[in-house]
Amino acid sequence: MKTLRKLGSAIAVATVSMGMTAGALAEEVNIGFTGPLSGGAALYGENVLSGIKMAAEEVNAAGGIDIDGTNYTVNLIALDDGYSPAQAATNAKRLKKESGVSAVFVPHSGGIFALQDFNEKDDFLIMAYTSVPSVTQKGNELTLRIPPTFDGYVTAFTDYAMKHDGKKLGMGGATHEYAKIWAGMMKKQWTAEGGEVVADNPMDYNKSADFYTGVSRIISEAPDVMFVGGASEPTGLVVQQARQLGFQGSFIVMDQAKLDEVAEVAGGLEMMEGAIGVVPLSVYETKPAQDFIKRYKAKYSKMPGSEAAYNYLAMHALIEAMDKQNTTEAKALRAGVPEALKSMDDSKNPYEVKEVDAGGGFITETTLAVVEDGKIVQKPIE
Amino acid sequence: MNLFFQQIINGMTLGSIYGLVALGLTLVYGILHIPNFAHGALYMVGAFMTYFLMVDIGAHYWVAMAGSAIIVAIVAVLSERLVFHPLRNSPPIHDKIAAIGILLFLEALVQMIWGADFRRISSPYTGILNFDGLIIPEQRLLIIVGAFVLVAALQLFLRKTMTGATIIAMAQNRDGAFLVGIDANRVAMMTFAISGILAAFAATLYAPINLVYPAMGHVVIMKAFVIIILGGMGSIPGAIVGGMIIGFAEAFGGFYISTSYKDIIAFGLLVVILSIRPQGLFTKGAH
Repeated sequence: MKTLRKLGSAIAVATVSMGMTAGALAEEVNIGFTGPLSGGAALYGENVLSGIKMAAEEVNAAGGIDIDGTNYTVNLIALDDGYSPAQAATNAKRLKKESGVSAVFVPHSGGIFALQDFNEKDDFLIMAYTSVPSVTQKGNELTLRIPPTFDGYVTAFTDYAMKHDGKKLGMGGATHEYAKIWAGMMKKQWTAEGGEVVADNPMDYNKSADFYTGVSRIISEAPDVMFVGGASEPTGLVVQQARQLGFQGSFIVMDQAKLDEVAEVAGGLEMMEGAIGVVPLSVYETKPAQDFIKRYKAKYSKMPGSEAAYNYLAMHALIEAMDKQNTTEAKALRAGVPEALKSMDDSKNPYEVKEVDAGGGFITETTLAVVEDGKIVQKPIE
Repeated sequence: MNLFFQQIINGMTLGSIYGLVALGLTLVYGILHIPNFAHGALYMVGAFMTYFLMVDIGAHYWVAMAGSAIIVAIVAVLSERLVFHPLRNSPPIHDKIAAIGILLFLEALVQMIWGADFRRISSPYTGILNFDGLIIPEQRLLIIVGAFVLVAALQLFLRKTMTGATIIAMAQNRDGAFLVGIDANRVAMMTFAISGILAAFAATLYAPINLVYPAMGHVVIMKAFVIIILGGMGSIPGAIVGGMIIGFAEAFGGFYISTSYKDIIAFGLLVVILSIRPQGLFTKGAH
């Protein structure tokens, strides 16, 4: 039954998008997306896309936007790059050439770096969904970074773990580009604060068949804290296997993984007692966040993660900027998004992001949550 | 010392799964000379079928495993009938392209129906055995025992039954098999069915300690190809021994050297073995 319904909706989507292309001749403004929609990271790409899509559909349902007196609807064009930077670059070129997009959403650092080579020349805005600090430090004038950078987390997590759990750290992070940069900063920070890294054994979270060997290697060095994290689900397996092998300490969870999603795979929050990570969206109690969760659940019947929420608000800000600036010109949008964030309705802004720094990074408060007695508890950062 | 035994258990768990997947691959290759790139997709479909039967229908783990094996066997036979059989007189490259086509088709189909979400299958065996510090979760033990039982059953089938004998005859000498009146179509379908059953069993045994998602076949199929090259294309003992070699290389290499190097160790081993025995460890043919 469920299958039939899904099949039905797939056909419906296909028909609707065909209808949209037919109407594309006149008043449509195109916005691009390139990200993993197949392969091991497909879920992540789909989650990002779901937020962007939801914003676009809300705008269209409310009658679209006005640019210079003409009414436009938003047309989102999503291409699959399978997490490959080279494919992301090809996709971006294609989006620009074939559809004349003025902005492209990219949810992975490799793809973002690849696009930054030519986006200023080709004149499109990169909506970058990555926490790697350097994407907005290299002076690219047409990049907006949506989530907070992770350097804030590194210090906050280290401080908390040192104070509560101990000085010995076992590194069991992932091996993709993003995780490597994270792990490098983590290690530096940990030793700078007088801690000791007793084991350094990164594992390929996306391609490993099993983590038992890697995890037992780390545990044999008896760390107090274990650094873990790639995508939420494999991270859950790592946590579960560490506990099975008798690890009693706590975890520092890299921001790519969300505590609630990790717990689902690991076998419940009890398995993660003491784990330190970013505050999952589900724990936010503000009205805009709760409202967003409710609408998202009604639409997709699942709990949204931060990637959906951040991209949702970024898409809204981008569309609002087009409306306010009366243009789809990339430079004007880059300048218009910060104002749009300030002026747009809170219901479109689940994280209540209000400002953008000079480099193009959205300014969000760094948050920290700890699993205590089987619950995710937000903690102040000292 | 416990850590050492722990790695033996890890190696056997991995080796069992790799071996089961490689067995199906080597059987098909030995008889039809088709490198079935879609085998990893059959493994993935097996996991999803078990998931479907357990979660949506509410079947018991073992019932779901049997159901999944039947469904995947049918899918495998269909792929033989609809794709490989019509291509039997074409150049070999056509089979390879078709196999990749089936792989992409099955993956896209599963992703369309179930989405890209990571799913979990819960097995009834969640306990953890602890022998004085040596930790063996029950499911891992089940994988090892299950693999041994399946290999033994396959051996009995091939050696003691007439149908099994026809498969071996085909593998040993195609023309000879035709001369004594063995029906090639029947053997081909039978072989694909067995490879599908093995893939479904392997996936169902492994899924409870792993994640179920459309791209899950990539990891094991890569290893399975290495294993059958290592063990000798088409050789049954080669697939089992090769599976264990790769499993142990990953466990011990990953533990005593570095997890980042475990694939290098496994592939390095492949290079070494092939330079000493270019035909693989065991000679070709299902002996």
